[in-house]
Amino acid sequence: MKLVTAVIKPHKWEDVREALETFGVTGMTVSEVSGYGRQKGHTEVYRGAEYDIALVPKIRIEIVVDDGDAEDVVGIVVKTAQTGRIGDGKVWVSPVETVVRVRTGDRDAAAL
Amino acid sequence: MKLVTAVVKPHKWEDVRVALEAVGVTGMTVSEVNGYGRQKGHTEVYRGAEYDIALVPKVRIEIVVDDRDADTVVGAIVSSAQTSKIGDGKVWVVPVDSVVRVRTGERDDAAV
Repeated sequence: MKLVTAVIKPHKWEDVREALETFGVTGMTVSEVSGYGRQKGHTEVYRGAEYDIALVPKIRIEIVVDDGDAEDVVGIVVKTAQTGRIGDGKVWVSPVETVVRVRTGDRDAAAL
Repeated sequence: MKLVTAVVKPHKWEDVRVALEAVGVTGMTVSEVNGYGRQKGHTEVYRGAEYDIALVPKVRIEIVVDDRDADTVVGAIVSSAQTSKIGDGKVWVVPVDSVVRVRTGERDDAAV
């Protein structure tokens, strides 16, 4: 199995969820994170004072999938999260050795 | 080394921590996340209005362990987080190439 982790723009999360559901992804973990990439944050003016916004809010999505689905899931996330503007985020894939469903103790493919 | 990640019901976290301490786990990272699995969230009524709760609050636990401890740690989490009701969560294991303790610069086994 593979762990697909995506860090995307918060307003894109609904689009990504819908697209993944259509493909057949039945679950995921979502968290609010902050980060920056090449754009190195930006400067914002709030009530006349200038603030350096180094950390931009993002949504992190984690999905454990079958090896054969990883490429499709990455493609769907990229396509739906893309705005073409800087700060669209990143998606990466890690190998997973074991997965267990806590309720039943099912392992690996049966636990997805 | 292995990274064990578990997404469990928030009210089970204390039990999991106690079970992990009993098997010798000396530290972990915990975060509040949201997620859904096969149950697809559920509908809740709040002040007369019906809300679709697509994302259920969960606690994510991350632990880096020795290769030989991974199975024990997974087992301790599964048995302590289990309620046998849907939404108990998942546990997965990912290989870790290297770990460093920031304070000392120690690496790998010495840093776990």
